[in-house]
Amino acid sequence: MSTIEFFLAGTLSAATIFLLAALGELVAEKSGVLNLGVEGMMAVSAAVGFVVTYETGNHLLGFAIAGVSGVIVSLVFAVITISFLANQVASGLAVGILGLGLSALIGNNHESLTIASTNGIAIPFFSDLPLIGPVLFQQNIVVYLTFALALCIGFTFKHTRLGLAIRSTGENPHAAQALGFPVFLIRYCCVAFGGLLAGFAGAYASTIYTPLWADGMIAGRGWIAVALVVFGTWKTGRIAFGALLFGMVSLGELIAQSMGARIPSQLLSSLPYIVTIIVLAIISTNAARMRLHAPFSLGEVFDGSESR
Amino acid sequence: MNAFRNKMLKALAAFAVSGLLINTAANAADPLKIGLLTPSPIADVGWSKALVDGVDAVKAKYGDDVEINVIENIQEGPDADRIMNKMVGDGNEFLVLGSFGFMNGGLKLAKRNAKRTFLHASGYKTAKNFSPFTAKYYEGAYLMGMAAAELTKTKKLGVVSAFAIPELISTINGFTLGARSIDPEITVDVIWINSWFDPAKAQDSAKALLAGGADILFSNAQDTPSVVTVGEEGGAYVFNLNGSMKAYAPTKYLGVVKTDWAPFFVASVDAHLAGNFEGQNQWLGMTDDVVVVEDWNSDISEDMMAKIEATQADIVSGAKHVYDGPLVNQAGETVIAAGERLEDGAILGMDWHVEGVNSPLPK
Repeated sequence: MSTIEFFLAGTLSAATIFLLAALGELVAEKSGVLNLGVEGMMAVSAAVGFVVTYETGNHLLGFAIAGVSGVIVSLVFAVITISFLANQVASGLAVGILGLGLSALIGNNHESLTIASTNGIAIPFFSDLPLIGPVLFQQNIVVYLTFALALCIGFTFKHTRLGLAIRSTGENPHAAQALGFPVFLIRYCCVAFGGLLAGFAGAYASTIYTPLWADGMIAGRGWIAVALVVFGTWKTGRIAFGALLFGMVSLGELIAQSMGARIPSQLLSSLPYIVTIIVLAIISTNAARMRLHAPFSLGEVFDGSESR
Repeated sequence: MNAFRNKMLKALAAFAVSGLLINTAANAADPLKIGLLTPSPIADVGWSKALVDGVDAVKAKYGDDVEINVIENIQEGPDADRIMNKMVGDGNEFLVLGSFGFMNGGLKLAKRNAKRTFLHASGYKTAKNFSPFTAKYYEGAYLMGMAAAELTKTKKLGVVSAFAIPELISTINGFTLGARSIDPEITVDVIWINSWFDPAKAQDSAKALLAGGADILFSNAQDTPSVVTVGEEGGAYVFNLNGSMKAYAPTKYLGVVKTDWAPFFVASVDAHLAGNFEGQNQWLGMTDDVVVVEDWNSDISEDMMAKIEATQADIVSGAKHVYDGPLVNQAGETVIAAGERLEDGAILGMDWHVEGVNSPLPK
């Protein structure tokens, strides 16, 4: 595999972690719930997914149970914030930190073990094309499914009644309730869906992308996912673009070093974060556009009353 | 180690109010309490495991006369200071602080507790009851470089490395010098990931090095088998530091530059019990049986193994030193002329790469 093939193929693969988690967070935020516990949910599922896959040898089972564990952690958050009306920011941080601790406990006996990775799927003819083959047609199936899911979610928000219900819940839960939408149910489901995708992202990280478990291996990727949602101004296409950009920057740094580029590696290591800050700053200069895209009631507790 | 007990200890330590449980001098009949603080979780391999093996050797020698308390996975920073205080409060008379970042907090504690003994990994500050200890990894890396030089076909070697600190820089230079002592055409690419701990990044770096043409990998101070597994999958020989990871690369494992802290820890406990412990900079290598090379790949020819063993014997006897001149830096300037030897201080503070390392050193 040449350097350029590795770079492009690796970008897609690295972007998948960010995109999966960010899509889940997008759905939760669209319903008006800001869940900052993504990092913790990913860590728990990464540990669970790894332990299950290690013990059973079954990647699919590992993925499924990791997803379920992500849902369970997200439901803890949902109960605190949706039913008990606690502050979403503080609760999200608390659940996230709890998740990090839990993941260390769950993975304690599997520290630094490895499992066999799954191979990418090979598509006849296309896989053998130069450059395009290894980049586009030899990826893991999760990569394809994730990008397909991004399209589905985008379509759902734009063109379906379900999408409308979620969006109106996020914009104005009082009005949504007056219209007859089950606001609490919608929010619970959206947060749980966010947990499911964060769970898949964690499992992808620990069983496919880097097939090993080590405490702390999520290493801030959950936070980047949260930032990506704002970065993409709550639009799936832009979030997917952002995920690819982050994948590219994080790999480009390593490749620039291996080719002997005369740039300080510390600067390269901080590039993903510098890019985040710059883009967020640029986006935020247009306040009207931010308000237009951000769910209006994002982060506000809703007590079920009909007017504010 | 009882993992659950460790977790409980950690939880207790985190919540304890420091100074609440100060013990008075222990009775002579009580076992000597030895405390070990590690910066990462204790796995089957890696840095923290090597430290645990070291204190286990003390336990093996003294049996019930010592009691070992291990607290794992402590982040460097103020939290570590509090936990160290707690360990002292719990009556640990002999402490092993397992990471560079425990230095200042540990030193303060040592000054307040003159009768207790402290060993501190990777640091440079000393007190009369406080000894920093470091391994001369570069000695082992030099031998690995010789083996790598025989097995490489592309004449490109790749290193995935944590932070650009003298300890790791001198190890990469040792590796490079060893390889080029066999084949001067060999070059070395280095990727600094600027993290002690990011398995995904380490793995991507290793893949990037392979994509760039390297066919030997060196996992420099990475505690997880991330780089080693990439070597096995990618068909590149690979070696690492501290503990053997042969299980992760059964066919492509080049060997290990192991650290065996047992002789040093046992000797220090002996000295502590005899009351004649003296804090000093402990910089330990092959001569001290602390740096050990083993698990050599069977693909290395007998001729080369003989050469490696001869070089090893020369290093142990002092006839050869890895940093014997002539040494040339990346810019092509002679640092040390033939017949001279680089001073210890210059190795301990190394901030330059030898000729043959392609990658620039981050400043």
